[in-house]
Amino acid sequence: MPRWGMVIDVKRCIACWGCTIACKEEHFLPPGVFFNRVLIGETGKFPSSSKLIYPILCNHCSEAACVEACPTGATYIREDGIVEVDDDKCVGCRACLVSCPYQQRTYYDQEVKDREYFPGQGKTQLELLGEKLYPFKVGTVIKCNFCSERLEDGMKKGLEPGKDEEATPACVTICPVNARVFGDLNDPDSEVNRLIMEKKGKQLRKEFGTEPAVYYID
Amino acid sequence: MGKIHELVQTMFPPDGSGLKPYEWMMNPTRQREWIDKKGIFLWLAFFFSEIGAGLYFVSLFYEYKAGLILGWLITLFLGGLIHVLYLGQPTRAWRMFMKPNTSELARGMWIIGAFAALGFLQIVTAGGFNMVFNTIMAILCLLIISHGFATMNVIKALPAWSSTMVLPLSVISGIWVGQQVLQLMAAVSGTAGFASGMEIWAEVFFFAYFLCLLLYVWGTWHASDIGKESIKNLTNEELLKISLIGVVGLGVVLPLILTLIMWGGDTNGFLIFLRLASVCAGDLAMRFVIMKSAVYKPLI
Repeated sequence: MPRWGMVIDVKRCIACWGCTIACKEEHFLPPGVFFNRVLIGETGKFPSSSKLIYPILCNHCSEAACVEACPTGATYIREDGIVEVDDDKCVGCRACLVSCPYQQRTYYDQEVKDREYFPGQGKTQLELLGEKLYPFKVGTVIKCNFCSERLEDGMKKGLEPGKDEEATPACVTICPVNARVFGDLNDPDSEVNRLIMEKKGKQLRKEFGTEPAVYYID
Repeated sequence: MGKIHELVQTMFPPDGSGLKPYEWMMNPTRQREWIDKKGIFLWLAFFFSEIGAGLYFVSLFYEYKAGLILGWLITLFLGGLIHVLYLGQPTRAWRMFMKPNTSELARGMWIIGAFAALGFLQIVTAGGFNMVFNTIMAILCLLIISHGFATMNVIKALPAWSSTMVLPLSVISGIWVGQQVLQLMAAVSGTAGFASGMEIWAEVFFFAYFLCLLLYVWGTWHASDIGKESIKNLTNEELLKISLIGVVGLGVVLPLILTLIMWGGDTNGFLIFLRLASVCAGDLAMRFVIMKSAVYKPLI
């Protein structure tokens, strides 16, 4: 069984926010909701200062704080390592949201649902279509799922996640500089493992002991 | 235009509580889900559960049935109900009973369930005040008093909540407020001697509460940089008045003055009432600022 993971090369990232937009498009996310973000900061002091660009998404941790906090088992880790929310079981207590050190979850309430991309003009056909195609349940928590639908559909067609675009998360396929690589962390010969080994991939905020499946290289 | 402005206000309120894309998790970022908007229910639920269970706990020692009944009712009907109202899907609250091995929240549901059933039995049974019952109920009460802050305490991402002193502070404040409610009940029921006799415990719990509060601030300040940020937030523009007037003024200074006035058991009903009101306001303020000031560590 694979364990899906991602490697992000922060030196390659040009902060185009393509991943953020592709993700919003893929999941029909309402205004103000992001499963992918790009953080931009600085480190050091002039003249030895440098710019930091970190694309951020759910880390699909193997020791996920959100899973430990969930009182109903609605948040769970699939066999392939993807952390998902079963919205039929979620009670909307938001313990997962508060527990996540990466703050990668969003509470989907009526106010979020009612947001329009063109305020005061009603929802567009695309937004209405999105509510049908990708319905979120009000009063539950939503998050990145590594585009598990794409992965599953693609694999049914015999495609390989990480190699074939149709079977790879939208944020990876959109990246114009190939800063993101997706693959199987359990496969020692996978591209993700090669990059982690060769470029000493780091997990974000490792001190929380959550064992993220997203690694950063530079 | 108005609608756009409204949306922008909703997403990025001028009080700074909203997300600013360039600040989000780049600076210490405040937790919002358990205190802002509907999160206020959780703050109230923790408070009512605490004072209800605190009252029940202290009543056990005095075998004071009216205190048991009131404590039981407050815990279940104010604490429990408000807890459920906070949920995004209240009708699914029963699901939390099904997975007691998952989290503090789920275990809390079982504890409250056991408290409801055994407490009811203790209240309706003629010989309810026996050693076994009292011990079990006392343990359940302590677990309920600390339940709110215990669910916060396990969240490692927020150092202000995972501070060592959070649980002792919670337990002592619960017993302190519960003791105050019972003392007022004793005073208004005409048993002045009983109320006067309880004053020694008021003195003890007041100083224990004050000590826990100081240790919480000191411990969190020294625990980590982010803990220090959270403590600094207690005096930011938004929380300064609540911290000073609520936590310090009403939670510590006024109760101290009233305790000194009634020192040695020279109590009267009005002063006990005044101290109870002050202590409740101080406790609410203390819980509010602790919940509101906690921040996450920046990601990069």
